[in-house]
Amino acid sequence: MIDDFTLDIIENSLIAAAEESFISFGRTSKSPVIYEVLDYAAGITDYKGRLVAQANGVPGFLGTLDLAVQECIKKIGEDRIYPNDIYIINVPYTSGTHLNDVTLVMPIFVEKTLVGFSSIKGHWSEVGGMHFGSWTSDSTEIYQEGLIFPGIKLFERGKPNKALIELIKANVRTPDMTMGDMEAHAAALRVASRRVVELCKKYGVNAILDSIERLMSKGEKLIRLKLKELPHGTFYAEDMIDDDGISDNPIDVKAKIEISDDKFVVDLTESGDQAKGSINSPLCATISAARTIFKAITDPHGPANDGNFRVMDVKARPGSIFNPLPPAPTSTYWESMAFVTDLVWKALAPYIPDKLSAGHFLSVCATIVGGIDDRNKLPFAIVEPQPGGWGGALGKDGESALVCSGDGETYIMSNEVIEVRYPIIVDQYTLNINDGCGKGEYRGGFGIVKDYRINNSNAIFTASFGRSKYPCWGMDSGSNGTPNYFIIYQKGKEPLKARKVAAFPLSKGDLIRIVTGGGGGYGNPYKRDPERVLSDVIDGYISKEQALKDYGVVITNDLKVDYEQTKKIREKLLNGI
Amino acid sequence: MPTRVAIDVGGTFTDLCALNEDTGEFVFVKDLTTPSNFAIGVLGVLKKSGIKGEEIDRFIGTGSTMVINSLTERKGAKVLLVTTKGFRDVLEIQRSNRTDLYNFRYQKPIPFVPRRYRIEVEERIDYSGNILKPLNKEDVLKAIEFCKRERFESVAIAFFNSYANPAHEIECYNLFKKALPNMPITLSHELTREWREYERTNTAVMNAFVQPKVQQYIETLEKGLRDFGVKTPLHIMQSNGGVSTFEQALRAPIYQVESGPIGGVIGSATIGKALGLKNIITLDVGGTTAKTSLIFDGKLRINTDYSIGKTQFFPGYPVKVPVVDIVEIGNGGGSIAWIDEVGSLRVGPVSAGADPGPACYNRGGDKPTLTDAFVITGVLNPDYFLGGEIKLNKELAYRAYSSLSEIMGKSVEEVALGAIRLATANMINAVKLISVRRGFDPRDFTLIAFGGAGPMFATAIAKDLLIKKVIVPRVPGVFSAWGMLMTDVKHDYVQTKVMRLNLDSLKELYNIINEMKEMAMKQLESEYINKNDMYFEAYFDIRYLGQEHTVSTEVPIKNPDRKVLKIIENRFHRLHYKQYTFKLNDPLEVVNVRLSAYGKVRKPQISTFKPKEKSFGVNYRKVILEDGMYNAKVLRRDEIQYDETILGPAIIEEPTATTVVRNNELAYIDKFGNLIIEVK
Repeated sequence: MIDDFTLDIIENSLIAAAEESFISFGRTSKSPVIYEVLDYAAGITDYKGRLVAQANGVPGFLGTLDLAVQECIKKIGEDRIYPNDIYIINVPYTSGTHLNDVTLVMPIFVEKTLVGFSSIKGHWSEVGGMHFGSWTSDSTEIYQEGLIFPGIKLFERGKPNKALIELIKANVRTPDMTMGDMEAHAAALRVASRRVVELCKKYGVNAILDSIERLMSKGEKLIRLKLKELPHGTFYAEDMIDDDGISDNPIDVKAKIEISDDKFVVDLTESGDQAKGSINSPLCATISAARTIFKAITDPHGPANDGNFRVMDVKARPGSIFNPLPPAPTSTYWESMAFVTDLVWKALAPYIPDKLSAGHFLSVCATIVGGIDDRNKLPFAIVEPQPGGWGGALGKDGESALVCSGDGETYIMSNEVIEVRYPIIVDQYTLNINDGCGKGEYRGGFGIVKDYRINNSNAIFTASFGRSKYPCWGMDSGSNGTPNYFIIYQKGKEPLKARKVAAFPLSKGDLIRIVTGGGGGYGNPYKRDPERVLSDVIDGYISKEQALKDYGVVITNDLKVDYEQTKKIREKLLNGI
Repeated sequence: MPTRVAIDVGGTFTDLCALNEDTGEFVFVKDLTTPSNFAIGVLGVLKKSGIKGEEIDRFIGTGSTMVINSLTERKGAKVLLVTTKGFRDVLEIQRSNRTDLYNFRYQKPIPFVPRRYRIEVEERIDYSGNILKPLNKEDVLKAIEFCKRERFESVAIAFFNSYANPAHEIECYNLFKKALPNMPITLSHELTREWREYERTNTAVMNAFVQPKVQQYIETLEKGLRDFGVKTPLHIMQSNGGVSTFEQALRAPIYQVESGPIGGVIGSATIGKALGLKNIITLDVGGTTAKTSLIFDGKLRINTDYSIGKTQFFPGYPVKVPVVDIVEIGNGGGSIAWIDEVGSLRVGPVSAGADPGPACYNRGGDKPTLTDAFVITGVLNPDYFLGGEIKLNKELAYRAYSSLSEIMGKSVEEVALGAIRLATANMINAVKLISVRRGFDPRDFTLIAFGGAGPMFATAIAKDLLIKKVIVPRVPGVFSAWGMLMTDVKHDYVQTKVMRLNLDSLKELYNIINEMKEMAMKQLESEYINKNDMYFEAYFDIRYLGQEHTVSTEVPIKNPDRKVLKIIENRFHRLHYKQYTFKLNDPLEVVNVRLSAYGKVRKPQISTFKPKEKSFGVNYRKVILEDGMYNAKVLRRDEIQYDETILGPAIIEEPTATTVVRNNELAYIDKFGNLIIEVK
């Protein structure tokens, strides 16, 4: 009989195995979306495909690994799973996100027993499709977005499926880079698998299987305890997504959240129909987004496993924006996926202000600048998310220049590195003080302004910015945040301000100004501590005029708070509301 | 009677280790640290040792505790940051990552210079070092005025792309120096010539922040030592595994930031050399943490990606200085055992510290710590802690564990053993991080264990990782200070230069190496190092074209020809394979050129050890180990004779540490007095 302490030790080792595999992929990948954005996740599941341990760089993949493994088991067939196989899958509708996010799955055998699966989902830089980099904001069918891998063998018994590999090479624009991603991906997968096998040899297969079961039931037990602490009842939130990706028509999104002692239901069925453009969030992404916020309000620091989510139910109508049907395009799925997290957040924030802030700039604000580099005649593409402002919260101002809730341990590229690697000059990279942020007793954080000057004969620009028409929400009398957008400056032309663009042609000297919004405010701005207002003036976050107009605080010429005047003005303003 | 003295200032104790260079004899003295003015404690312990100032031919001190305290308590200078127009907010934007993924009330690191103290000047240099816009002197003069008016105490100058061409930083410095001759000024490029503006700016800012405080300490210490009669050069430990002069330490105090635990690693390398061991894993367990490092092929491993205060949920503050690669976890003798929400036992990172300390200290602590667990399981002898200076109270240890025992429905002994096993498992994971995760197989290594608690854990860790041999050096409790005595002078240089690796670029890269070497030789000469005692190591940070992360690859320092190119390429492929299990046929790209310059100091002969005669002899006591309860032999370390072989289970006691020899393991001493255990 294995004692509790040994089971604890095995559990930690399983989590460490997932982490090790995660790090290995990040260190060796050739795709910036992997090594800077950390847009990937590594996990271990049991033999049924239930999540045992996962290591993440972004929260968004929570719950996409297990579904992909389960889909592979179904497609391959239990009797055709062999040691040293590797399966490849990226179908959005059943278990995926967009086609760039490729999941590789490897069964873990100890002698003849299947003990589980190691799997990694990661963004491959190129999988074919209508534009370089594959994801785009102007597709209307999935077939324009690249190759679909329906859960087939990439390796069988350790032997590569050469026909498939040739097919991939022939269908992507940068076969070397894509193959590099594949190598790193598969190598990292084997790392986790090897560690699990070592554990089985040391403690015995049965001990590992026991430990896995216990790990999941402990995860469930913990979440049930946390669920009891949440407010119970039915909560509602609604919002609007700027557009459907093609036209200017907004999409209504609605959530009903039901919380009881043993259930947490996120019902999205009232939300709008699937969009014509690529912003559709596949069911799997929708579930992930709901899991993300659920984790945030229950157990943000504990390891995640299948047990955590047994009390959860996510309902999304087939054919809707949150559960699109083929052949809906999904390549900018994060635009609506983020709203799932945000709706639950918005509905619950007033009840758990110790855990949730006012709304944040929300959008990934993804940009691509690409082309052929004059210096070496080689293709280049800088694919990036942009940071923005987060919401104020009870007792604290919002954070400035932070990646959105869908991103995580995501590093915005250093501008000095950008200038070496791409024919771009960065003219400025500062906080977006001009547009400001949501005002409140605790104000929002600031977005950023970044200027890219094209230092190349030609380039193209693709971008998708959400929350441009409808900025993020303030709460408890705090004001809304400010919008995300970009402006393209070209010689002899009117500046073009927009929120989405696909493969826009640029030439030398053109300037792209990337602007992200500030977060929503929390609480009444007239109740903001005058010393904080003063401090904001001294730091140049707001002007003296704004201090008076937005916060009712009078700042003297020698930079002191005039408390008497402030009191008078604030009384008037507060009564006037 | 020339004497070499090292003094290690720790959080609780200030340790002195002195070596008489004629006789090879060592002196060890321990006293309390004096946090209000660390120099007092240093001079105090020196006086206590009985060594005379004029006898000291080499002095090595530490400043790490000072630097760390200043940063963690945020007590430092009022710093003005002068930076390139358009980049004032770099320090606040940072890299924008959310390390704590699911925390929607996340707080980024707060910059050490607030926005109001960050001032922009017009200037611009491109990535290849060309000047796009000259430095605007008007802007600089405005900054100087601001500096005077606001009474800043320290200035950091960090310009965009200054790693490629530092001309504007230097020009700006000259203007400042002329106007404010006594102002401490930090230039980002002097600390590192690596790209990435946030990391380099932050490094400069943190250096400027701690500078006045460290200056005060070093100057006080220097004066104190001179008054005490010390006439020879004074050295201070650096995080890179070498020492530098006090003078250099004044310019770049941030280089000392992680120098605290490094003495022990160097000491281990020294022992390894004496015994012909090239591959060593070190384990240093003190009161609050366990630290492990890896020595491969006789060399310390350096981490160039270091952040202060980094945790799983906090990105910390990046500091681009080379730091000896050490993994540290919050498990030490004082770590408290507790039960989490779902009923699992956990240990640390909260520690009872030295005050009130573990329950068994009988100083008011009532929390169950690892030290208490070792008392309960019989590993620690309550009557011989610190050689009997502190009497441990076994009953209080039991009482501290009784509530955990009730909750878990297990006996006190079972829970205490559980806590020890958990801590051991945590340390095993830490050792795996430093070895397996970096592509090393622990089976190829010897474990050297020290610190007060290290030798209690060592054999269990070794067994799990299939390490065959454990060494416990003499006086494990002050081993870090001993290691400091053996440390060479070291300076590191880095230059970012992104180039495809081929025969043409190789020449240019080697020109950089040669320039660095010249600079280094001048620096070492100024520290009275003979040419014959200088040696150099050069490295390229290399990657496959298209990758982001690099693998540091040592390159031969000779004429860069086709053969050398082949050697470098092969080394890189091998290292990449070792670390990540695959290699590619792609072109290679160099990102950074690095040079480490050493000034060898004369290594003293480690004297042979003379065991004492048996007076304590052999006792027996009941001890609970992971694999069962034993009636274990108990011996005093200094009475073990050369021809004596001890068959475990046994407990070997000495004033500063206790060593566990498990069932069937063999222990003996070598001629230097090291305790060697063959693990089964």
